[in-house]
Amino acid sequence: MAEREKLLEIKNLKQYFNQGTSNEVRAVDDISFDVYRGETLGIVGESGCGKSTTGRTIIGLYDATDGEVLYQGKDVHAKKSKAETKQLHQSMQMIFQDPYASLNPRMKVNEIIAEGIDIHGLATSKKDRMEMVYSLLETVGLNRDHANRYPHEFSGGQRQRIGIARALAVNPEFIIADEPISALDVSIQAQVVNLLKKLQKDKQLTYLFIAHDLSMVKYISDRIGVMYFGKMIELTTADDLYRNPMHPYTQSLLSAIPLPDPNYERTRKRKSYDPKQHNYGPDEEVKLREVAPGHFVHCSEKEFEEYQKSYKN
Amino acid sequence: MKQLKKKVLEVKDLNISFHTFAGEVQAIRGVDFELYEGETLAIVGESGSGKSVTSKSIMRLLPTNNSEVKSGEILFGDKDIVTASEKQMQKIRGKDISMIFQDPMTALNPTMTIGRQIMEPIIKHQKLGKQEARKRAIRLLELVGIPNPESRLKQYPHQFSGGMRQRVVIAIALACEPKILIADEPTTALDVTIQGQILDLMKDLQKQIETSIIFITHDLGVVANVADRVAVMYGGKIVEVGTVDEIFYNPQHPYTWGLISSMPSLDEKDDELYVIPGTPPDLLNPPKGDAFAPRNPYAMKIDSEQQPPMFKVSDTHYAATWLLHPDAPKIEPPQKIKDRMVEFEKGGN
Amino acid sequence: MKHSNDPISKDMFEIEPATTLDNEIIAKPQLSFAKDAWLRVRKNKAAIVSAVLLLLVIIMAFVGPSLSHFDPYQQDVTKTNLPPRIPGIEKLGILDGSQKIGGVEQNVYEQNNIKEYYWFGTDSLGRDLFSRVWVGTRVSLYIALLAAVIDMLIGVMYGLVSGFRGGKVDNVMQRVLEVISGIPNLIVVILMLLILKPGIISITIAMVITGWVGMARVVRGQVLKLKNQEYILASRTLGAKNNRLLFRHLLPNLSGVIIINTMFTIPSAIFFEAFLSFIGIGLQAPQASLGTLIEDGYKTFQFLPHLMIIPSIVICIILITTNLIGDGLRDAFDPKMRD
Repeated sequence: MAEREKLLEIKNLKQYFNQGTSNEVRAVDDISFDVYRGETLGIVGESGCGKSTTGRTIIGLYDATDGEVLYQGKDVHAKKSKAETKQLHQSMQMIFQDPYASLNPRMKVNEIIAEGIDIHGLATSKKDRMEMVYSLLETVGLNRDHANRYPHEFSGGQRQRIGIARALAVNPEFIIADEPISALDVSIQAQVVNLLKKLQKDKQLTYLFIAHDLSMVKYISDRIGVMYFGKMIELTTADDLYRNPMHPYTQSLLSAIPLPDPNYERTRKRKSYDPKQHNYGPDEEVKLREVAPGHFVHCSEKEFEEYQKSYKN
Repeated sequence: MKQLKKKVLEVKDLNISFHTFAGEVQAIRGVDFELYEGETLAIVGESGSGKSVTSKSIMRLLPTNNSEVKSGEILFGDKDIVTASEKQMQKIRGKDISMIFQDPMTALNPTMTIGRQIMEPIIKHQKLGKQEARKRAIRLLELVGIPNPESRLKQYPHQFSGGMRQRVVIAIALACEPKILIADEPTTALDVTIQGQILDLMKDLQKQIETSIIFITHDLGVVANVADRVAVMYGGKIVEVGTVDEIFYNPQHPYTWGLISSMPSLDEKDDELYVIPGTPPDLLNPPKGDAFAPRNPYAMKIDSEQQPPMFKVSDTHYAATWLLHPDAPKIEPPQKIKDRMVEFEKGGN
Repeated sequence: MKHSNDPISKDMFEIEPATTLDNEIIAKPQLSFAKDAWLRVRKNKAAIVSAVLLLLVIIMAFVGPSLSHFDPYQQDVTKTNLPPRIPGIEKLGILDGSQKIGGVEQNVYEQNNIKEYYWFGTDSLGRDLFSRVWVGTRVSLYIALLAAVIDMLIGVMYGLVSGFRGGKVDNVMQRVLEVISGIPNLIVVILMLLILKPGIISITIAMVITGWVGMARVVRGQVLKLKNQEYILASRTLGAKNNRLLFRHLLPNLSGVIIINTMFTIPSAIFFEAFLSFIGIGLQAPQASLGTLIEDGYKTFQFLPHLMIIPSIVICIILITTNLIGDGLRDAFDPKMRD
């Protein structure tokens, strides 16, 4: 099997806010994972689990409290030359959650989309720049004459597509999508997700897809990581996560998703999760262990053995 | 099983417009529906469909300076809410008809204790003394599953989590045991595990208090969980209405097909998600014919000329699509929908 | 919903899906931020009337003195303390130069055979009040302009830097701000008098030292709110440097707040100058400012009311109109009132 290239390596990443004080928040508490070129890694979890903070720390909006973020082997947070910083900004881009807050209300659409082009000097002339903007608009399914309008004239789905066009303007390889569809209507979510999938194929993009809607994440992701209170508690392929959820939190999450199927809903039993149910002793080492090939679960030695036994193929 | 249930609310030919700088936005363009005793009616639709405007109009909470009810009636008991006086409405709100909103953060007054906020409607509508009201408030908190209710009465909203706050909001809404509870996207802002708890809570309370619920949402999964009947709204009108089984297993309107198809299923691998192309209609200039026609792959010539009337599918199931006209061609719905219909047939409905 | 009861022809049921999806087209006309605000302000009658009035006052400040042909500083002892006399209106019986002296109605113009018409009358040194009032208004307008410039240059920059940098820099800057705002403006002016003569320079310097504090606070507050908005984060991930963030992203979004704040600092600055001149540590005689005119006038208020009333009316008009315009702008810029 060919060695897959690791585009992003996260090693023991920690992001603590107000460290040392009484209201210390361990938003990201020692997580490690890799993202391979060409794949879509989904990260799911509920509010407060740290998934958004993880995304923003990876792209450098926050400085990590501890741990490493390596993009193509280079440390994202280390001191870099101007050229290296520029290169990183062009390789790694982000799409944000709130279509209403992620576009500057006082800038026209063409200025918003062309910002990356302007900062990195990617266009040779004004005409060239506008051509790039038009082509980006068309790539995301909008019209040329939208370029002269302001964000407030667009719907949520359209704004999200403008945000995608903005990220694409610098020709990135890797895009972190931070809850890009959570604020959109269901049918518009499908549009945006299909667009992202198409772009991935056309431009060989790698995605880190952060969301809380499990069904959408499963649809778009190759692998999925589940976060809970700052820790990655399960990481495996999308199919495997649904067929063999090992960690009780993952199981409770799956049992809570409402499906558009009244018969299923009538008979479904929700599982609830209580972190105390693990009953970890003070000396037990709890970490991410490989329960089956490619399937990692955050557990103690004892639980590891139980999970291995109960793993169905 | 047909049971002759009592009608609690009847909306007839409701037309509501908003007057904006750019012109008149026809938000509601002829909505009819009924609500029966003890049932949960889900109103599903996306932004701009008019579902929120409908619910607010039942409570007469639309801003008076720019909204106008152009025609129609909202019959509750012996009153027409459209023409009732403000004084009459104040007697109805909180007592006979209650509402819970989407955002638990802003639905509660941050400067008042939870206890005061729950007791307020009790004291005002049921004219109970403070002591009696307090006892009722404690019982309500227990009912909605908040532990240690006596001590929590004195706390402020910021001391509760999102899910807890929504429970308090439900407690306030049910304080006077209203005949109708309007829930406008009550779980959209909550995590999925909390959402499950709140939905179960609402179903339990409904059984206990025998209230009718109008549940507004855009999440079809939630609808499948809570609803007895479903009304699908698009472009300011109801395009399909039926029991929850009929809507999910035998949908007739292409928009409903699109909605159901654009949700990825958990157990299979979808190659490409079906997408309803385009965006919802601009109600500033509503189209002449069927508002869904521009996005409807099954649109016919007549869809751009005339708005379709409601066609009957069964006593409980109606859909406003020209595809149900006897002269319309028989078309194949998308595969996912066909599979559902097969199951429906088998069930002998 | 009306349906025609005519039978529908069969060919109407041919499938004809939309060929081009034109519903990405936006129906509403393009509305820039400024246009949107203008539409809103237009509806506010008080603001529009105020704007017109204020414009009149500003025009008069420039052309007024030349209209009356009198020199604002020329004294003429033969024409002291004359009441207002306006040609045309005097035929209505008011403003015809008559006044009650010791209970007796007299007309000093006729008594002393004065042919000239002093529209606003004259003061105790025979100076024409009309031209003096408008020259005085010029001073007020200069103060208004100065206040606006100080607000925008010093106040905005201070608030931007303080809010954007945050942390220690913000802490230090805020403490300095608090010290400055803690000292009453009056004390600062009086301290100025230790080194300067009272006049327009001392007032200017006092305003430069203290007048920008309100704007700085407001701008800082807005910056703190805006700097964590997602569009700022998006620019940072694109590689934008701080300058770009400050001037291309933050500043335009602050314009609403800046304009409104300026509209409210102007009246208080104008009043400040008038007040200082009134108590004698602002502009000095023979300079004309609305404050000095009121000060002159109040001494003889009992029997020459016009000397105090007229400059008071002018300054009231300026203060009220700027306040109402500020109110109108604030309502217009408030995004929550968007429909």
